[in-house]
Parts: sequence; structure tokens; C-alpha cells
Amino acid sequence: MLGFRLSAQTPPPARPVTDGVVSRFEHTYEVDPALMTEHVRQQQIPNWDFRRIVDSRWEHLHWMRDHFADQVIAASELLAELEAEG
Amino acid sequence: MAIALEGSVVDELIAICGPEGVFTGRSALFNRARVPAPFPAHRWEDHIPQAVVLPTSAEQVSEVVKLANRHGIPVVPRAGGTGLTDGAVPLNHGILVDVKLMNRIIEIDHGNRTVTVGPGINMLKLNEELRRHGYFYPDDPASYPCSLVGGRIGTSGWSLIGARYGHTRDLVVSFEIVLPTGEIIRVGDGGGRSTRKSSSGFQLKHLFIGHQGTLGIVTEATLELAPRPEAEFSAFFSFSDYMGAHRLTGDLSRSGVATLGGVVLFDEMKIAYLRRDDEAYIPQDESVRAVVACASYGNADEVRAGAKRLLRIARASDGSYMGDEISQGDWWSRHDRYATPQHGRTRDGQVALMSWHCEDAAIPYTELPAVREKWHAIASDLIQRFDMFDDWGMFAYTNGAHKAWGDYLTEIDIGIWESRWTDESWAAWVDAKREIGRVALEHGGSLTACHGSCRAGEVDLVPVELGGGFEVMKKIKRALDPNNIMNRGKYLLDQAYEEE
Repeated sequence: MLGFRLSAQTPPPARPVTDGVVSRFEHTYEVDPALMTEHVRQQQIPNWDFRRIVDSRWEHLHWMRDHFADQVIAASELLAELEAEG
Repeated sequence: MAIALEGSVVDELIAICGPEGVFTGRSALFNRARVPAPFPAHRWEDHIPQAVVLPTSAEQVSEVVKLANRHGIPVVPRAGGTGLTDGAVPLNHGILVDVKLMNRIIEIDHGNRTVTVGPGINMLKLNEELRRHGYFYPDDPASYPCSLVGGRIGTSGWSLIGARYGHTRDLVVSFEIVLPTGEIIRVGDGGGRSTRKSSSGFQLKHLFIGHQGTLGIVTEATLELAPRPEAEFSAFFSFSDYMGAHRLTGDLSRSGVATLGGVVLFDEMKIAYLRRDDEAYIPQDESVRAVVACASYGNADEVRAGAKRLLRIARASDGSYMGDEISQGDWWSRHDRYATPQHGRTRDGQVALMSWHCEDAAIPYTELPAVREKWHAIASDLIQRFDMFDDWGMFAYTNGAHKAWGDYLTEIDIGIWESRWTDESWAAWVDAKREIGRVALEHGGSLTACHGSCRAGEVDLVPVELGGGFEVMKKIKRALDPNNIMNRGKYLLDQAYEEE
């Protein structure tokens, strides 16, 4: 049975990305907590919830895309063909 | 606070729509007072309706309108309430007619490729049904998951993929409308429900599109059906300067590629905003100052061939391809821009909860660089005076129907900390919006490409933009709505009655 362990759900330390933006997980970005002290306080979100939010966004985008076409033609694939054609 | 309707009027409404179709409670009224457009939240009560009705048929709508004429009560039509102007906001209280229950698919005509629907249906839900038949209704606003067909007609909406498929006015073949005096008529291109082109009589379809509820209430619409696209292609290119991106935008738009759905130009302020406040943004090198996006839809072989041509054009520019992840993911998010981050920055960089407000105009391609500078200057002045606004940057989208070249739906997004509204800051905001509109006109554009121009501020410039056309608007309004019932106060059309 899986149980909740605080140590496994505590976000890793933030690393700065740019002025005002930090990252704790690959491909996800947050406003620097130092800029969320006066009007809005940043909440600490457990890792599972953080991942759920990120994964939900991608799920939503794929779901939305699926409304518009059956397949996606990637530009990288066509650029490779153009490269090969010279 | 609005004066409550007399009990006898409420009883009459109940007799028309049934007890389940009439609402006079506080939450039903307050929740239908505003739309996402800039709204004086500190004066919310000025805009609440006196009663809400949810009719289920054209006959019920007609009877409600006739009742309103008998009693001299204004009627405000409302569909999704997602408009970025204030078409659905009551200016004089009255009876709000919410069409959300009229949301059925009435008929799919396979032979003539049309679908007939109620005005309360949403494009996303409609397309989920049409997909089973291999069809697609290609009206794709930023509010695709939440706006409704009736509102799209009332607004004359713009579609993200309009360069390929056309916009709402091009996609609505005909529709039924309840006139301000209660008569039910059908307008289209000539007679018949599915005629696409006719030269018979006045072209009334366009008169009843984009009137912001001042000329009637749509109760049924027959829409164009396109084949569901086999394939989608999207590509984003980064630039170190705006003018390089502007050139590629023009080159792609003039390419003549038939599957091209649209081209989008992001300016430097937009990139800066995405960098600081959009958690879904993929960081780019500091040298990135502008972005161009394009997308195509259609049969796979045609999309593939057209996309290669677009990529050849892009390779000849100064831009760099930004990769599949951002090209696809960001494009998909374009269909649902109401899911935008609801925070911005105060002057010292602190995060504050802000609403998204989008000011739009139609701007000729050649004028985009100059308009961009002037609009940002207007926003900057506002921010310096009131620490409750934030400049979220600008987009320019191709605006032509079935062609990408020409003018652009140009928007500046401004974050507003709405809980800080005062009469002074609201007045300054209205002045700023009027100045944004004035710049659009000075550069040969229109006050709006998509949202409508009946918002406080720019509405003052409608007579300037339309000239003698505005005089005709007033004559038409007075002829069709002798008691000034429909959406009273909108578009300065009260002037039509003052001159009597």
C-alpha cells in the first residue's frame, strides 16, 4: 500500500532561471517567491500535486488539439526533408 | 440597485417561459452583469438586470420581446457572456434573455453540408458531435471552449484560422432572428436556409451580424460544414528584433498557401510577459525579442506541401525555428486563451492578482510597427499613474477571410487589478482605451476586428470611424426598434431617439 511521505512530497530547492523566474522540476517554471510577498503569497504544493497540474495542462492541450485534426505534422520532420533535398 | 420588476410583469414572464425559466434571485442577476471585458467592478450594481429568462424556443423569445415593448422595459440578449466588449452587459437593467438552453443540434444536412443549431450551443461541443460524421465547424475564437454560436453572431467574431476557413460572418449561412418588435424572420443570402450566394434584395444577413444585441435575438442558425482536417501543422520562429519578425509575418501571409490558417506576430513586450509570468512558457535565449507563428489545416498531402513552402520562406528570413514542443504546445493553447494566467506585476515587480483585458483593432500590415509603439506608450502612461495596470504585450493576427494578407487583428493585453478600481482610475482607463482607438483610426484601421466597439471609451469614436454610416445605423435602429427596447444604451444608439 502506498502512503504519503512528507519527505517524498517536499519540493526540491529552487534554482534561478532568469531574473524573477525559478525552476524546481525540469521544464516547469515559477515566479521567484521573493516577488510573492506583498499581495499574493506563494503556496508550497506537494510534489504529486505539482506534477498533476503540469501533466493536466499537457493533457488539456492534447485534448484540445484532438478537436481540430487527426494528425500533427511536425515542422522538424519537414525541415529535415528540406535539408536532405538541399 | 435596479428597481425590481412589478410582480405582474414577473408573472407574465413566468406565463411565457415557465417558472423554471425565470430568475429574479441575487446570484442569477449579479452573475449576468458582466463579461470578461473591462468592467467597473466597483459599480457592479449599476449593471445588474431586473430579471433573467432562459427561453427554450423562438416563440418564447418573441413573446418576451413583445412584453418588453408593452411595458417599455429594456431587453439584453446574452449567450456565453464571454465577449471582450460589453455587448451582454446591461446598461439600463431590464430583462436579460439568456439563450443557453437553446443549445440543440436541430439538423445536419449531409447533402448540402450545413448544420442547423440553437444559438446556445458551443463550438467545441458542436464539433465533438460533428466529428462522428467527418465534419468540422471551423469557427475558432480564443474562447472556443466557452463562447456560444449566438454570441459569435451578435459580435461578428473573428476566428484564429479565418485565413483558411473565414470568420463567423462567412461561416453562418443563414439564421432566424427575433426582431425588436417581436416578429420572427430568417435572414441569409437570399431565400432558403442553405444558399451560400444570392443577389436577391438587400443583403440582410450582414446587417444582423455584429449588432451587439441592438437589433434582435438570434434563435436558430444554419452553419457551414467543412471536412474535418486530416492534418495540422504549426511552426514558431524567434527573432532578435521586431522588424525582422514583421517582415516574415508579411512574407508568410502573402505566400498564397491555401491551407494556411493564420499567422501570428508576438512583440517584445509579449515575450517579456511570457518570460516572467506564464508558467507554461519555455525559456528562450535572451536574444529572442519577437516571435512569428503560423499554422495550416486540411488534407494531409496538401498541408505537408504547403508547410514546406512556408518553411522555405521562413528559412530565408532571420528567424530561427523554436522546436516542436513550443510550436505545437503553444499553438494548441491558442484555442483556449481564456485559461490565461490571472496574475501580473505592480511597478515594483510584486505579483498581484489581475484580470486579463484585451483591446483589439484592425490595423493595416504596414502600420503595425508604428501602432505598436504608440499603444505601448499609452499603456506605460497609465501604469505610471496607477499601480494597478500591467502591460502584457501585443499580438497581431492575420485578419482576412480566406486569405492571410492585408490587415491584422492587433491586440494589446493589459492586466488590471480590478479590486483597486476607483472612479478616477476607471475614467483614466476609459480615456486610454479611447486613445488606443484613436491611434487605430489615425493609421487607417478600424476600432475593432473582433470584439465590437461598444465599450466605454472607443464607442465615442464610432461616429468618427463610420461617418455617414453611423447616421444610417441610427435610422435603421429607430425603424426596427421604435421603443428602443433592444440593448438600450449600446453603441450610442440612444441618439437615434433624442433627435426625434
